Amino acid sequence: MGMLLQDDMFTPEVIADPYAYYGRLRDRDPVHWNEKYELWVITRHDDLVWLTRHHELFSSAVFKNDPRPAYPAIDESDFGLYEYVRNYQGDQFIQHDRPEHLAMRKVVHGYFTPKSMEEWRPFVRNAVKHLLDEAEKKGRMDVMRDLATPLPVLVIAEMMGVPEPDRPYIRQLAEKLLYIGRGEHDRMRPLTEGMKGMIEYVSPLVDERIGNPGNDFISVLASGEREGVFTRHEVLVNTSLLLLAGHETTINLLCNGTLAFIQHPDQWAKLKQDPAGAAKLATEECLRYDSPVKSIQRIATQDVEMRGKTLKKDARVRWFISSANRDPNTFAKPDTFDITRWPNQHVAFGSGVHHCLGATLARVEGQEVFKALAERFTGFRIDNEALEYQPSITFRSLKSLPIQWQ
Amino acid sequence: MARNLLVQVDHNVCVGNAMCETFAPHVFRLNDNRQSEAVDPAGDSEEKILEAAANCPVSAITVKDAETGEQLFP
Repeated sequence: MGMLLQDDMFTPEVIADPYAYYGRLRDRDPVHWNEKYELWVITRHDDLVWLTRHHELFSSAVFKNDPRPAYPAIDESDFGLYEYVRNYQGDQFIQHDRPEHLAMRKVVHGYFTPKSMEEWRPFVRNAVKHLLDEAEKKGRMDVMRDLATPLPVLVIAEMMGVPEPDRPYIRQLAEKLLYIGRGEHDRMRPLTEGMKGMIEYVSPLVDERIGNPGNDFISVLASGEREGVFTRHEVLVNTSLLLLAGHETTINLLCNGTLAFIQHPDQWAKLKQDPAGAAKLATEECLRYDSPVKSIQRIATQDVEMRGKTLKKDARVRWFISSANRDPNTFAKPDTFDITRWPNQHVAFGSGVHHCLGATLARVEGQEVFKALAERFTGFRIDNEALEYQPSITFRSLKSLPIQWQ
Repeated sequence: MARNLLVQVDHNVCVGNAMCETFAPHVFRLNDNRQSEAVDPAGDSEEKILEAAANCPVSAITVKDAETGEQLFP
């Protein structure tokens, strides 16, 4: 498409500000063929909702159904490692289609109902209080390091019964797993190290819960093996997946949301008027305005017509939450951060049968953090203006968010 | 005789996760937008309907006693 000077999703400009680039695509070419990476880029809200709700047309078994090499290109010497990655990713329950996906999701779905997640709220509230007590003593904090990372790691590790001393190690492994959405040619090395490390770490935990189940979440996954829904490798991979998914995206919600409040003092003032009352809708707006996940991929299961174009069977199709959540056809003043916005049909958690399993948990954590910040602090300023994001097309992740209070 | 229920799905929040359909397949059906609709509140047992409502990941389902108006879920 001639009007775009460059069409690369990994440039520093697009990483720093995805909204300008994907917004342009949404306005001018909403079903866009990216020649460089040979994939369709879907950017409109209504298209994204339609696509995610037609799971029979767009397979989630992306790694199993896509024999093409990794993109951006990787070192030839790492092709073997990519096979390991495909095998590992392919066993995640989210990388399956119906009917297998439904059977797998049902093993874990009941653990994450809104009612059962609500029971975790006091634990979350207490953890937030302790982390903020510690930070307040120092007079400043890196929101990423001191709040947004330890909170969700603590919560998911508690759910899974991961011993406390091991939690920093889990975070180290998680950081390696995040290379999945990045562009470095040598990324397969840290990525496979993270995957192998996770499998090695969770194996004895799973062994123990298979023989001696408790009410923790690993025992729930292990029950899937007893019922014949999961193989052992699938239990191990899904334990690793949920350990990662249970915190990485929440980190982004907490950091990006806090940043949005710092950049919009009027909305911060509104939250401070009634922190408990405003936190729920405010969290939804944080999810919409600067979404933790930027994009997710599918594979077309057959030729599909979208806006006059034919997405050929087996084509890669990538849908962009970051642009859909700023679509002016769905949201009034889409670039305005408005914490009273309702209804707010953002797609931060996707939609359809693959809608994020941990959505309610993320919401509880967001609500408790934004409420606690507003109850405790007058305001913040950023310690260092040069904010940087991880070079990922999957995640909208700040590298750090150092702040001081006023 | 089972009591009559009023079952509603809020389309401002329904994301078409379709779990309700798997728990109470005769009550809930996805419409053309792939959002759930309660097509027959008598199609499955009250127990199954309440289980479907509890398993809605976005709490879009409300269940009431049709005669008394008593809210049974959430």
